[in-house]
This record gives sequence, C-alpha cells and structure tokens, in this order.
Amino acid sequence: MTLRILRAAGLAALLLGWTSLAFAQTDCKTLVPASPWGPNDQTGATNRVTPAVTKAAAAEIQDGKVVPLSYVLTDGVPLFGTRFSKTILTATSLAPGAAFGENQLTYMEDTWLSQSHVGTHLDGLGHIGRKDCYFNQTAMGKYINQNNMTRLGLEHLKSFATRGVLIDAVKVYQQAGKLKTNPNCRKRCLDKGTVLTRADLEAGLKMYNVTLREGDIVIIHTGWGDIFEQFPAKNAEYNSGEPGIGKEAAAWLVSQKIVAVGSDTWAVEVIPGEDPKEAFIVHNILITDAGIHIIENVRTDLMAAEANTTGRATFFFNMTVPRAVGLTGNFVGIDGIR
Amino acid sequence: MLRSGHDVASRPRTLLVAGAVLAALSLIALTLPAASQPRRYTIAFANVTEEPGLTLEGTGFTGADVRQSFVLAARGQPVDLVFYDNQKDGTKAIANVADAIQRKVDLYIQYYSDPAVNQDVSVMLRKAGIPGLAVNYPMAGAPLYGADHLAAGQIAGEALARFASRAWAGQPMVAILLGNLTDQSSGLPERAHGVRASLARLLPRARIVALDTRGNPAQVSPLLGKAAAASPNTRLLIAALDDATALSAKSALEALGRTADGAIVGLGCDRSVHGGASEKKEIDPNNRGSILIGSVAFYLDRYGYDVLPIALRLLRGEPVPEHTPTRHTLITTTNVWREYPPYDMQ
Repeated sequence: MTLRILRAAGLAALLLGWTSLAFAQTDCKTLVPASPWGPNDQTGATNRVTPAVTKAAAAEIQDGKVVPLSYVLTDGVPLFGTRFSKTILTATSLAPGAAFGENQLTYMEDTWLSQSHVGTHLDGLGHIGRKDCYFNQTAMGKYINQNNMTRLGLEHLKSFATRGVLIDAVKVYQQAGKLKTNPNCRKRCLDKGTVLTRADLEAGLKMYNVTLREGDIVIIHTGWGDIFEQFPAKNAEYNSGEPGIGKEAAAWLVSQKIVAVGSDTWAVEVIPGEDPKEAFIVHNILITDAGIHIIENVRTDLMAAEANTTGRATFFFNMTVPRAVGLTGNFVGIDGIR
Repeated sequence: MLRSGHDVASRPRTLLVAGAVLAALSLIALTLPAASQPRRYTIAFANVTEEPGLTLEGTGFTGADVRQSFVLAARGQPVDLVFYDNQKDGTKAIANVADAIQRKVDLYIQYYSDPAVNQDVSVMLRKAGIPGLAVNYPMAGAPLYGADHLAAGQIAGEALARFASRAWAGQPMVAILLGNLTDQSSGLPERAHGVRASLARLLPRARIVALDTRGNPAQVSPLLGKAAAASPNTRLLIAALDDATALSAKSALEALGRTADGAIVGLGCDRSVHGGASEKKEIDPNNRGSILIGSVAFYLDRYGYDVLPIALRLLRGEPVPEHTPTRHTLITTTNVWREYPPYDMQ
C-alpha cells in the first residue's frame, strides 16, 4: 500500500515536473533584453513618468479644452476572430414591487463579458513575447495560470499622466505629395500597407515644431480610423490591413525613451508587415524588448483637427488603466487636455 | 616662433586656392544626389496575366497575388514600379515592352510563357540597353527566377514516404499520383517526376498508380473511388499535384470511409489550404489530425520579395546567378504559422 502511494506520488511529481518544463524551455536572456530598470522590474516604460514629467506635461493644459481620444465600445465595432465584448444589464429592481425601502430605491448594474483587447485599448507588458519570453527576460511559462499572469500584470504599471504628442501622418504624406488614400475612407487616410518611417515621424514632429521628450506618449494619425467609424459595414476592410510604423520607426521611437505609442489602427504597426515571414514584429520591438506600450484603435481625427487649427500638436495625456491583477491589457478611455 | 617671409607671403594664396577648391567641391556636391539617398530605379514588371480567378503555374495563386507581392516588396526599396499585364497574349507582351522602352525604365521583368515572344522581348531590350529578368520562363540573356517543380515534387514524395515509414511500416500500401497528368505545361510533369523519384528511392516496394484528372477536380472522386476499391485493406499515399486536387481527394476518402487509410500531400500551398488565426483552413495548428499532412509551398505570393532584390543587384552591377529557384518548403500544421504568420488577430 505504502509502495503504491509512493509510486503514485512519484508519478505525480514527475508529471508536474514535465508540465513546468514544458512551459519554461527557453533561456530568455538570449531572446529578450534586460530592463533598464533592473531585474525585478515589471513596470517598463511608465517608470519614465516621474513627478517632474507629469508637472511639465501639466503645462500643456492652457485653456481646459478636452479632446476625446477613444472610440465608443459597442456592439458591431471591429473585433478579431472570436473576440467578443458583450454586456448584460441587471435591472430586476425596476419590476413592480421590487424597489427597496420607503425611498423606493432601485438600482441597475452590468455584467460585462469581454475580452480585454477590444475597442480603444492598451497592450500591457504581458501581451506580447518571443517564444515564452516576455519583457525583462521573464520566462512567462512559470508565471501563468488558467486565470491570469502572476508577473507583468497591469497592476504593476505607473501613471500615464504625461505629455501626448500627435503626429499627423496624413498631413506629412499630403505635404510630401505621396498620399495614396483608400477608397473606403470618407476623409483622407493613408492606405493599408503604408510603412511609416523614422523620416515620416520626424517630418510630422517638425511640422508642429515638437521635439520628443523622455516620457512622452506619441499618437499617430493615419486616417485609417475613419474606417473603424463606419462599423460594422467596413469592419472587414478595417481588419484587412493598415498603415503604420515599420521596424526602423519603432526602433527610433524606442531610442526616444517614450512611454507608449498609439494610433487609429488596430495594431499601430504596418500590416502587411515589411517582411512577410515576421509576425507583428513592431510589437516585439516596443513591448517585449523595450517595455513601451502600444495603444490601439485610438480616435485621432479630433486631435489632428485641433492641431491643424491651433498649430499645436501637444496635450496632456489623460488615461488611467485599471489595476486589474494579472491582465495583459484592457480597454481604456483617453482624453487629451489642452 | 619666427615665420619665414615665404610662409607669410604664401598664406593669402593658399587660402585663395583652398577657397576655390571648396567652392568647386560644393558645386559638385550640389549636382550629385545626397550620399545618404540611394539611387531610385524604375522597374517594370510585366505579369503573365491579371485576369481575375485565373490561376498560375498549377497552383491556386492568381496574377493579382503575384502583382501584390511586388507592391509590398517594393516598400522601403529605392524602386518605382511600372506594372504591365501581358494578358497571356504575345502581341500585348510586345506592346508592353515597347512602352517600357519608351518610358526608359531601368530594368524589365518579364513573366510570360511563350519562348518565341520572350526571344523578341529579349532582342528589343538588348537594343534599348535595358537589362531584363525572367520569371518562370527563360528569356535570352536574362537571369531566371522561378519555381523548381522537380524539387517541389521530390519534397512531396519524401513527405509521403517518411509518413508511411513512420506510421505504416510493414503494412500494405499503394502510392497514388493524382492530378492533371495530361497537361504538359505548368511544370506538372516535372512535379510528377519528382514525386515518383522520391517514392522510388524511399519506398522502393510501394506500387505507384497514376490517376489523371485532366484538370477536373470532379474526376477525383470517381478515380479515387475505383483505385481505393481495388486496394482494400491497403494504405493510400496520395500525392496530389495541386491543392484543389488534394482537398478533393480528402473529401473523396471521407465519402468512401477510408480516411483512416489515407495520407495526402498537395503542391502549391495557397490560401485554399492554409488560413490565418481566424480563417481556419485544412493546414492549421489546431487541425493536427488531418489526413492532408501538408502542401509544398510555391510562394507565388512572395515573388516580389525574391525577385526585386535580384533586380537591384543586377542594376548595381553585382553578380547574379543565372537561375534562382524558389525555395520550396513542405508546409504542415507545425510550421504553417511560422511560414505564413497570420495577421488576422490583434
């Protein structure tokens, strides 16, 4: 009997050993660079949002005008594959006789069944890796369970209260006489597959006399979001590709020590990518290697119009991310305050 | 320190000469393109046909797929592309090259199957001093890029033989060569020859049966039905010369209740057999049990990525091989997303 128990325990131990081995097979030091903030860092680029950075960004608030930078999240917006976002309303106390107390209190609340990377959303540090290696050489196989991650979750992020900088790529391409729009766009847009280069980004900054500062968040207006706004009719076209930054531009943004880069597209990077054998390589460059966040499906047209009218492309970036433990990302609301 | 009188007297003259040299250099620099900006080339690509739905080289790829690969590959290259559609018509092909010569393109890429027309195009380009590059069909004096049907067939035959040796060693089996065996174009005979060669080498005792569909996938079911009935209790190793035939063969075996006996390898690997993360198709990491074990990639949707670098080397006067074959690979459930990373996800 004892022998049988020991044998069973041995087998269980062996199986458990195999399971953990199956998840952690890669030497992450060879695949992912170390974080500049130390071996225990789970925060990444939001480490750059210091009190001084936030204070300097506050100077962008000059007349209190708030410009929305997020799309509504509702049925029919472009989602990918099996992704879903559904709400169920609980309104039982509205039934006759179901109100509470003499004051006849009623209430309602929601059940939100949703995946996190829907609508305007932030990609966290646990969203993208190389094999099983994630930001800061994290061998993620050791840090996941069926519910969430136990490292690199959103709860480790610091503030995003910093300066936002808009780059109007449509205007850059227009002025350079190389704008090739997409027939599905009602307003001018860059076509899918357009690779935004470092030179394009620099031209966009120069257009509004902006120099990037450490801790900035860069928002790129491509016009592709106009197709998002035509949901659900144009969802297939929206998802079929997009204009966006290429590898060279991503590497340059990393060198500028920014916190995040967002765009009015579903992946921020150019799709189809520059090399057909690479998958979402810009995500690797920004998130996995540099801890810089990507913000997708950002509404950029209003800020682009504002910049065009006022000649100023900077603003206070107002976004909070839920301290949701172990999440890889989440939908967010963003305002640009001027 | 004392200076000699000669030194003092020569200083203004030296400065004058230096100034003149600097001015001359500035003028030269102004007339030259900036060193950081590589020279841009105008490259013409004359596609064999862009007729919608018309597939090429015995695969499921169309002319639009080939053209799009050039558009995508040209991004980031110092290249302006001029596209022509040869419309599978010799007169049109000649008119296209004449137009390109008039435009003074830097290089002409010809994708056309008629040797006589390609000869005429070659002569016209040589007279105009424009280098040429040929795709899939040779053109005199031009490097050739294209499919290696024999190698692709060998890969398919090897895949089947390896599967049989691993899964069905010692069991009775028959190898079936299935497809348009009548068609002498599109490299299909070379593919068939490659399959046979690999099977003969690796499974010397396996009987090989050739079933000619004459290009009609509807013929797959009756042909395969007869062959399967003639070989009960026998494993069926099917080399399908194209993906459409491979998918038809799978359906036929399912209808016959012989899926447990079948293993299929196709050739082409277009989007009819591989999909993306959301667009599930037969070759998919989540469909590892399929009897369609794989398809040999022909990458017509990547031609631009292979051909434009050759064109640029040619234009820069660098050595270029006379013949660059496509790098054919067997695509299975284990490497499909590595070879064709899906981007229908976020």
